[in-house]
Amino acid sequence: MAITQAMCTAFKKELMLGTHNFATNGNAFKLALYAEGGGGKSSTTATLGAATTAFTTTGEIANSGSYTSGGGTLTKVAPTTSGTTAFTDFADLSFTTATITAMGALIYNDTNSDKAVCVLDFTSNKTSTAGTFTIQFPTADASNAIIRIA
Amino acid sequence: MFNVSFSEIGSVNVKTSHQGGLTNEQIADLAVDKIASVSDQAPPHVRQQAKLFKEQLKGIMYHYIILARKEERANIIQALRSSGQKETAEYIRRL
Repeated sequence: MAITQAMCTAFKKELMLGTHNFATNGNAFKLALYAEGGGGKSSTTATLGAATTAFTTTGEIANSGSYTSGGGTLTKVAPTTSGTTAFTDFADLSFTTATITAMGALIYNDTNSDKAVCVLDFTSNKTSTAGTFTIQFPTADASNAIIRIA
Repeated sequence: MFNVSFSEIGSVNVKTSHQGGLTNEQIADLAVDKIASVSDQAPPHVRQQAKLFKEQLKGIMYHYIILARKEERANIIQALRSSGQKETAEYIRRL
């Protein structure tokens, strides 16, 4: 598959190097949407997975409505812990009045050279037509949160 | 020794709409999914209880989302009427 859900390997290393700061006053993180099957801008196809190291426009969806290249800025929720698990969360993100077909997304660090964090696989094409495209993050707990380290 | 036993990412939920914004039901679903989640590994009776709770919660959310949208429209209509834009106000009232 061209888009495979994964926490990027480079991100794991960069965590140890202190590259990423998820505090509410820390780095800016963004979410970009991607298409498979030549559905990206200029008929490109996304190839995203654990080996992804940074944001790319290859396979990114075209601008539409409130979606522009690079995607939307995520509102961070400060990292916390539950038991032995640390996790962080983001507020849900919506693109409005947009015609979008996307198969997945990339979260990346907009402050630090667009370094990749994780790849999200929607498992099927999600489509909005002159409408709203909303990405809801899972419940922020030790079992479900978007980014967890135990 | 520093040992990270695992790192994981959760699954997102995507909701889309066509020719307009999300429906009241979709918004209620988003709210309920955020408030209550149950593990796939939970015992069947716990999952059943959680499912019933979510259905009840969704009904309540749905009702108040409709109310909130009606009240917001009422505020907009009143603001338009006050500024003399009666035709636009009437158009929005009929939505």
